[in-house]
Amino acid sequence: MSETAPAHLALVGRAFPGGQYTLEPWRAWLLTDALGDDTGDTQPHPVMAWMAAVGGMGITWDELFAWFDATADDGPMLGEHQTTLHAPLRSGVTYRVSGKVTSVDRKTGRRAGTFDIVGYELYLHDGQEHVATCWNSLVLPRRLAT
Amino acid sequence: MNVTVGSPLPVHEVRVDPGPMKTMAALLGDPNPIHWDTRAVAELGLGERPVNQGPLNMGYLMTMLARWAGGRDRVLDFRVRFLGNVLAGDRVRAEGTVTGLRVTGAGRIADCEVVLKVIGGDTVLAGTASVLVEPLGPGDHTMTPEAVHQTGRER
Repeated sequence: MSETAPAHLALVGRAFPGGQYTLEPWRAWLLTDALGDDTGDTQPHPVMAWMAAVGGMGITWDELFAWFDATADDGPMLGEHQTTLHAPLRSGVTYRVSGKVTSVDRKTGRRAGTFDIVGYELYLHDGQEHVATCWNSLVLPRRLAT
Repeated sequence: MNVTVGSPLPVHEVRVDPGPMKTMAALLGDPNPIHWDTRAVAELGLGERPVNQGPLNMGYLMTMLARWAGGRDRVLDFRVRFLGNVLAGDRVRAEGTVTGLRVTGAGRIADCEVVLKVIGGDTVLAGTASVLVEPLGPGDHTMTPEAVHQTGRER
């Protein structure tokens, strides 16, 4: 089984550029409607934490894949996701987003072949308050690795 | 709220239509056509039905949890593994079971196992969640540690 490339292991700890995401009421309404949930409830849906985190991480998906020498054509997949809300989301608030790569692990499966699992964490802040943590794992197929 | 370990959560079913996928793609700025272009889906050999976004699938489970617990702000922690795809035209069912109860400074927390299944198909999401089922108000002494003893676990 091949091992994770040292250059990729060196990315553990790398910070995302980060940025901001405003939880606009119209975005919250449209998301709630897309979920078939009650649009009359103005409390933002918890999945908005993920949307805010990704929306403010400061790079595109293609740029994130490129950090690990992968592209969308490799067929990257969502592996796992965790949202931890330390405080309720609030409509109209502009959240500061930060984050970092937390892990890179090489795996091999009988059917899936060789792939890397990249873990990364994004944080939502409202001023000094840490509002949410979103941890994710991405599965990056490595078809040329053995 | 009468909650015990082993209680099932009220199921939440959704018919997955292509329209909301287009809305979600626009909201996310997601250029992947598998969510909205049936010709692109077919050219990729994925059939003829658009593929639902993972966050929408997560959202169905969160909706189930929030409705049961009494509000969207009651969902405190949510973790899932992505196991498969949901396609336009599928019906999905969100299900859950209480696996533990504990008391924290915020109130009474229910830990749950959750799954999202395509009706007549596979499980596409599986994981755990923690929701606030009974907030502890200032000066509220009605909460006792007994709930903690149901699992012997407290963060």
